[in-house]
Amino acid sequence: MKSSIFSFAILLIIAGGAVAQGAAPAAGPNDAQIASIVVTANQVDIDAGKLAEAKGSTPDVKAFGKQMVTDHSGVNQQAVALVTKLKVTPEDNPTSQSLKAGGADNVKTLQGLQGAAFDKAYVDHEVAYHQQVLDAIDKTLIPNAKNEELKALIVKVRPAFVAHLEHAKMIQATLRK
Amino acid sequence: MIAVAGEVNRHDRTAPRALLVVLACALGATCSAAGAADKPRSYTVVIEGVAYQPAELAVKRGDTVAWVNKDPFPHTVTVPGTFDSHEIAAGSTWKYVARNAGTYAYICTLHPNMKGTLAVQ
Repeated sequence: MKSSIFSFAILLIIAGGAVAQGAAPAAGPNDAQIASIVVTANQVDIDAGKLAEAKGSTPDVKAFGKQMVTDHSGVNQQAVALVTKLKVTPEDNPTSQSLKAGGADNVKTLQGLQGAAFDKAYVDHEVAYHQQVLDAIDKTLIPNAKNEELKALIVKVRPAFVAHLEHAKMIQATLRK
Repeated sequence: MIAVAGEVNRHDRTAPRALLVVLACALGATCSAAGAADKPRSYTVVIEGVAYQPAELAVKRGDTVAWVNKDPFPHTVTVPGTFDSHEIAAGSTWKYVARNAGTYAYICTLHPNMKGTLAVQ
């Protein structure tokens, strides 16, 4: 838990840095970098979801994990189809790298946990993760996306992150009881 | 035949009015008053951005409602214990004929914050 909170704190600092840089027009991510952030953000949650589907100790946690795999896979299929059509090659960047590292850390932490401890750590991370991605969508991705179709895709999938965040919070509340 | 037509004209004063309605319809006027309202209608609810659009819909018994999923992942239209679309895949449509009157609050079992209402009169 400590490590996941810590990695989340680091991500917040990085995200904050990206926003601060956003004040200077040229400093925000370009479309190729945004594409990479979108695909990575989805992939990270697919990986954690697969683990929860297998290791979750309650039906709610297992179902939520399965749904994360389904929903984020669907979003990624659409994202990959669009970047292929636009002939944009996703470009690694500090935000996508930190997402990837945070995701790997989370999976590592979760692999060492069982039962209720696993459920709690997974769901807590899902709440933090979806909030973090929403912040990135609003403060970095949408304001910086140049291509209208790429921007439209991000706008279109944003409600899914909101719904997942709310759903994760609902499960988080039941786990506390 | 002519005699029969004469009978109708003499005893049914609505006939000329019916003729007018038919003419009006032929000219492209709104025909809903001419009995078309009794025919079952079809409605569409679009599922997009993890929401039902429109979220509230009123129909008459016998009408058909089609839920079209435009999100890249599945959704459901579920009234627990009453009707259930089960998973509507991305890009798919689920149709439901509203047979029983009542107000039905439905949800997506996959995204519990998605809510809609179908009122059947």
